[in-house]
Amino acid sequence: MAGTPLLDVRDLKKHFPLKRKLFRERQHVHAVDGVSFTLGPGETLGIVGESGCGKSTAAKLIMRLIEPTTGQVRFDGTDVTAMTKRQFRPFRRRMQILFQDPYASLNPRMSAGAIVGEPLLNFGVPASERSARVEQLFDRIGLHRDAMRKYAHEFSGGQQQRLGIARALALEPRLIVCDEPVSALDVSIQAQIINLLIDLQQDLGISYIFVAHDLAVVQHISDRVAVMYLGRLVEIGDGDRLFAQPLHPYTQALLSAVPRTIAAGERRRIVLKGDVPSPVSPPPGCHFHPRCPEAADRCRQQAPELRDVGGGYHVSCWLHV
Amino acid sequence: MTSAERDTIVEVDDLKVWFANRDAIVRAVDGVSFELLRGETLGIVGESGCGKSVTAMTMLQLIPSPPSVIAGGTIRYNGEDLLTFDEERMRAIRGNEISMIFQDPMTSLNPVLTIGEQIAEPAKLHRGLSQSAARELAAEMLQKVGIPEPHRRADEYPHQFSGGMRQRAMIAAALACNPKVLIADEPTTALDVTIQAQILELMLALKHEFGTSIIMITHDLGVVAETCGRVVVMYAGRKVEEAATAELFTAPRHPYTLGLLAATPRLDTAPAIRRADRMRLQEIPGMVPTLTGERVGCSFAPRCPKSTDICRESDPQLEDYGNGHLTACFNCRSA
Repeated sequence: MAGTPLLDVRDLKKHFPLKRKLFRERQHVHAVDGVSFTLGPGETLGIVGESGCGKSTAAKLIMRLIEPTTGQVRFDGTDVTAMTKRQFRPFRRRMQILFQDPYASLNPRMSAGAIVGEPLLNFGVPASERSARVEQLFDRIGLHRDAMRKYAHEFSGGQQQRLGIARALALEPRLIVCDEPVSALDVSIQAQIINLLIDLQQDLGISYIFVAHDLAVVQHISDRVAVMYLGRLVEIGDGDRLFAQPLHPYTQALLSAVPRTIAAGERRRIVLKGDVPSPVSPPPGCHFHPRCPEAADRCRQQAPELRDVGGGYHVSCWLHV
Repeated sequence: MTSAERDTIVEVDDLKVWFANRDAIVRAVDGVSFELLRGETLGIVGESGCGKSVTAMTMLQLIPSPPSVIAGGTIRYNGEDLLTFDEERMRAIRGNEISMIFQDPMTSLNPVLTIGEQIAEPAKLHRGLSQSAARELAAEMLQKVGIPEPHRRADEYPHQFSGGMRQRAMIAAALACNPKVLIADEPTTALDVTIQAQILELMLALKHEFGTSIIMITHDLGVVAETCGRVVVMYAGRKVEEAATAELFTAPRHPYTLGLLAATPRLDTAPAIRRADRMRLQEIPGMVPTLTGERVGCSFAPRCPKSTDICRESDPQLEDYGNGHLTACFNCRSA
């Protein structure tokens, strides 16, 4: 990737403190435990992983909706983590977020037009320009202009997510963080929203961070894909390569677990034993070793680092050093 | 072939379940028929509001009436119509002959009873097991569903179990009385894929062990492909297509099924194809219709790329295209 990446995340960590128990040291949930990656302009990075792996927390950290414990987020070359709220404000309009539950993220007492226009109001766009801009946005996301007077509950789930997209687009962002944007939607509606996101990216050159648990959706929309397990990245790189030839044992198990509609020949399903360990006291060494079919002594003692295995493709596993 | 020759265990015929609202009638299930054969796994797929869960819950009379009204049809189990059973007779069926597992194991388990008590409850009720025998059964069932230290675990409460373990416990409870039929309503939707793989594998293994017939209700076509022998596709309260699973995926006929398959992103699609299509998924335009009022014509017609005048005027009937492949569509004969 040439030049400065749009987003450069370095060793991001978030440890949520737990309530302290008498005579014991305070414990922490290691939600995000050292995540680093970059994102280029107009690129889509998919982040996949199972519940509790920290993918949504990572999304919120990038947006500074929660403050990181340590680490840096550089947006267009500027470190935004150390900024005050006021300093951060001009950056905020360049990065927007889209949530999983579109209804919960729309104010039920505001009209659709007011919801989409609110970011413009907040950033001091004069009223005269505002209504024209809102009309434009409604056209762009495929909702009728008459719908501006309606309230959130009058829209279907897919339309509500369209409103969320319109609101995110209002300030012409360069990055949209999508946190499970289609997982609450039915397949036929999901396809409409994914296509809309792809069209917007092609027309406006927006970068996406696309967080989802549905691997097929992520494969479809992403240029590069990152796989998270217990707060850490285990593998990150070109999506086609990752889905065709995953290197990390966790990625391999994850991909093999997805039910397929076409018999994929002699595909071997790797069924992992047990559950994901608690992020309060993650296992020492590689976080995945208690469930890893290939775990060796070294994995139990020392955590592998994310290493480049060629072509900007990174894996964090002792099998690939 | 008559249903006896085909060894049918459950036969749903022209089932209609309506919900009476203050000012309208919602036809949630509007004339659905299917058979469940002994020992098979039948999939019912469709999107939200297609009536798949209402159909399943009606089989066990789990929907309060009012607001629901059974407007017609029969559900035959062992030759008897379950819809004519009173509450007392239904209680003898539920959990004993036919049991059900639900999508969300947290809300379907009682938080103040131990896992063991809940697993053994149907067996105590139906078979009059003693306290100690019930405890033993609970532990044995937990062992069968792959939970380590079953005796200790049986005395724990649902909040002490992870999501996947709760679903295992629910399966254990559902199978405790060795039912003939298991209705699984989105059993893995709330679970992560690696846990989903464990649960599906477990369900199939138990099916072989107990010989249970399963109705698998899901919106996930992948789950259907991996577990079911036959599939019913529902849309807007009706069955639009039914076929053997392999045939449905290789030679779907109904435009809705085609649309659903094309709209689903798949891991198997080669990268070159995805790039060539500029990575667009095929959409099904529009939305699911409201189910109020009299239905005129095919419910899918407003969204259907193949619809013609006849689709908007009259109701397509299910036609058999051979091998039990049924489709309700005027325009898919050429397919």
